[in-house]
Amino acid sequence: MNAQPGVAAGSRRGGSPALKAIRFLVLCVGAVAMLFPLLWMVTIALKSDNEVFRLPPQWFPKELHWSNFVTGTREIHFWQTFGNSLFIAVLTVIGQVVSSVFVGYGLARLNFPGRKLWFSFFVGSLMLPGFVGMIPLFHLYSSLGWYNTWLPIIIPAFFGNATFSFLFVQYLKTISVSFDEAAKIDGASDLYVLTKVLAPMAAPVIVTMVIFAFQGSWNQYLEPLIYIVDQKKWTLALAMASYKGTYATAWNLFMAADLIYILPMLILFFFGQKFFMQGLGSVNSASLK
Amino acid sequence: MKSAMTKRKLREWRNGYLFILPSIIGFSVFVAYPLLSSIYYSLTEWSGYDKPKFVGLDNFDYIFNVDPAFWPSIRATFYYVLMSVPLSLIIGLCLAMLLNRGLPGIKWFRTIYYLPTVVPSIATLTLWLFIYQPQYGLANSLLRALGLPEGTWLTSSRTALFSIVLIGLWQVGSGMIIFLSGLQSVPQELYEAAEVDGAPRWKVSLNITIPMITPILFLQLILGIIGAFQAFNQVQVLTAGGPNFSTSLLNFKIYQDAFNNKMFGYSIAEVWVLFVIIMIFTLLTYRYSNRFVYYESDSR
Repeated sequence: MNAQPGVAAGSRRGGSPALKAIRFLVLCVGAVAMLFPLLWMVTIALKSDNEVFRLPPQWFPKELHWSNFVTGTREIHFWQTFGNSLFIAVLTVIGQVVSSVFVGYGLARLNFPGRKLWFSFFVGSLMLPGFVGMIPLFHLYSSLGWYNTWLPIIIPAFFGNATFSFLFVQYLKTISVSFDEAAKIDGASDLYVLTKVLAPMAAPVIVTMVIFAFQGSWNQYLEPLIYIVDQKKWTLALAMASYKGTYATAWNLFMAADLIYILPMLILFFFGQKFFMQGLGSVNSASLK
Repeated sequence: MKSAMTKRKLREWRNGYLFILPSIIGFSVFVAYPLLSSIYYSLTEWSGYDKPKFVGLDNFDYIFNVDPAFWPSIRATFYYVLMSVPLSLIIGLCLAMLLNRGLPGIKWFRTIYYLPTVVPSIATLTLWLFIYQPQYGLANSLLRALGLPEGTWLTSSRTALFSIVLIGLWQVGSGMIIFLSGLQSVPQELYEAAEVDGAPRWKVSLNITIPMITPILFLQLILGIIGAFQAFNQVQVLTAGGPNFSTSLLNFKIYQDAFNNKMFGYSIAEVWVLFVIIMIFTLLTYRYSNRFVYYESDSR
């Protein structure tokens, strides 16, 4: 029973059959509401140009126009933009995860004066509204000649992410210090302890960080909007927000392109569902305790 | 012996600072510097290209007494926060409670409700822009098919803001999953005790479940408020603040004043106004809801 408390409790406290049926029905209605927009999106993406604007609407396309996925991505430099987003996302993931792992180790495993102070600075910075720094940083980056480059988006990733560092600190607390000590008695350095001893044990939390770092980068809109003018350097978020006007008369093409924008996240969700479903919620709720 | 000890200690100090160096630099450059410099900039007239000119509190005077767009934007922001935060909190909690207990296909339900939160922000917003399109969009097509009157959605100043709130509710799964993990960590002994006593179900929910997750509820409330005050993408992609300023959220106005109107100093002053409003809201929430929050007496 202790092994699966949720399940055991579920069968016991499931309620009367009538109540269960009502609960099931309510959840079904809600589930349809959740799925409907996405399904509609898929049907639009597969319709012909005329079918989109037919009244009364045809819910399902007569024939499936898979070619929309080719046409929809041809004219707007879609794949180049996709590549830009991917390049930025990969560097952001590497930067945030690696730097946060180092910072997390320092905060969790090493004793030095000022450790608690810095820790509260880092966690406290999570509470600041993002817009506070936006304009001075814009000025700073512009004077460095970083305007219209990816540098303002990529470089900060390498200087630690407070949420991820915190997540790593919390995880390290569950790993006994005796592992570190054993390795250090054998003459191992801190770098060795972190990369060869602890990191493999902390693989689940590192995967979680990778996933959420990727999602954050794939979602990012404000920074690209501010810094990147040149269409060739656009990211997908920027491009899709701009092409909504260009494609105002070709919904099918737009939806096809938009679906490809979503696809990497869906794939990530499909394979890493348990990492999503544990939620960064555990981090959020822990971060302020 | 003693010097070896100090040497080891000093090495640990040095290593400690080496390991957290990225965040020290990051904090100084990306948090502390902009925060402190923006205090000064908020007191200047500055286009971003010329040199900032010190003008004292003129910006704040202009914000509160002259700017015709400021108060409408405050109004829209408050409406937005007061609608979106409670709605997503309540719906997220209800969903979590429905999804907490055993049912056929419960895993599928959880996945389906979480799925919309995986869709990137801009993809979500552009999708809903088409959903709300009056003639061919999904929303009105559905209403027509059901024989109901059509909605005005984003085109009317009376419905635009709520339509934006509605999009947020489609992504209520992110809150739901947090509540769900909270519900599952409620100790089973409590339920077993209640069952032995023969307590009715609604009483169990009211007296055990809800109090036990108040810390999470409280935290989500605070984070929800901070987040809602900073909403930006929705307005930028969907309405550009219209119709008639009804969706002109403060963050969007700040962005416009800075990057479209090139009033950097002025928009930084507005950022500080927003910042203070967020702080006041957070503190009030803290004061008034903290007394309802139940903390287990001993730490686990």
